[in-house]
Amino acid sequence: MIEINATMIAQVLNFLILAAILRALAYQPVARLLKQRSDKIRDTIDKAEADKRAAEETLAQYKSQLADAQRRAQEIVDKAEITARQEREVLVAETKKEIDRMKQNAQLEIQNERNRAFEQMQKEIVSLSLAAAEKVVAKNLSSKENDKLVNDFIAGLNKNMFSDIK
Amino acid sequence: MEHIGVRETVKFLGLTFNWETLCMTWLAMAIVIIISCLAVRSLKVIPSGWQNFIEIVVVWLQGQIDNMMGKRGKMFEPFIVSLFLFLLTSNLLGLIPFLESPTNDLNTTLGLALLVVAMVHIFGLYFKRGHYIAHFFQPFAPFVIINMIEEIAKPITLAFRLFGNILAGEILIIVLLHLIPIWMPIPSVVWLAFSIFISCVHAVIFTMLSMAYLGNAVRE
Repeated sequence: MIEINATMIAQVLNFLILAAILRALAYQPVARLLKQRSDKIRDTIDKAEADKRAAEETLAQYKSQLADAQRRAQEIVDKAEITARQEREVLVAETKKEIDRMKQNAQLEIQNERNRAFEQMQKEIVSLSLAAAEKVVAKNLSSKENDKLVNDFIAGLNKNMFSDIK
Repeated sequence: MEHIGVRETVKFLGLTFNWETLCMTWLAMAIVIIISCLAVRSLKVIPSGWQNFIEIVVVWLQGQIDNMMGKRGKMFEPFIVSLFLFLLTSNLLGLIPFLESPTNDLNTTLGLALLVVAMVHIFGLYFKRGHYIAHFFQPFAPFVIINMIEEIAKPITLAFRLFGNILAGEILIIVLLHLIPIWMPIPSVVWLAFSIFISCVHAVIFTMLSMAYLGNAVRE
């Protein structure tokens, strides 16, 4: 049962042949594949990490850009508000000035109109008074007395009747 | 019963060979090669079929080799993988009716054990030179006797452990079938299942011990 013979040497050779065949046939391709796979996995992980980093960077960039844009938009709005307020103030001031000017003009015109009306009225009153005086007296007076009468009349008018006009 | 352990021998060039052992060895080699062919026929990054099996074996042994043998272990990977696949196939072959394990012959196991031990010494000397010889005289010179006994015991224990377990398993299958009537197959089936386990375990043990011995010799 336990008998050592040349089989031992044959078995060693058999095994060495098998090892050589397996090395060429199976081990090397499998080891290569395993290495390929681990390389691929490492590459993929590296790439994923790089992608993630890049994405984070881009996000940060976008965020800062967005914040910048918001800030600038706010600035523009603020500036616009300020400009609008200034413009409005200018407009209001101009309008006020215009109103004042118009008021002054109106007052001036009113004054002129009144003066003109007063003068006209004075003239008409003179002629009316003359006509009335001629009718009332109806007799010849000396031109000296006539003038005196008229002047007295006018003076009386001035004092009594038109005191409230001026 | 009488045929257990009786070897059919052939004479060739004045040398005696156990014919059945040789045939079974070639069968085991053929099976291993066929499985490897099936596995590597279409290697894919996403494995399937036999590729899974070979990959599991290779990855597992690579891990063990890395742990036990360090960086230099890389060059022994094909040898260790072949050893494991051959022993596993050989051990399981004996459980198939009418076949026997090549490893139930001491010539096979002792041959492999001596091969491993020869590699241990050759690569030990190659990598460590003087230090390798010096380590037999550690911790002090008289220990060389104990160390020598240990070195001699290595191949013997390696060979007899595998040989004894596999032969015992096969003998017990035959014995159980003879002792217990054919309509009571449960004990032999249970023993068969246990033998499958034993076959795997001893393939692992032989491979691991070879790795450990080689690792001691070649590790930096």
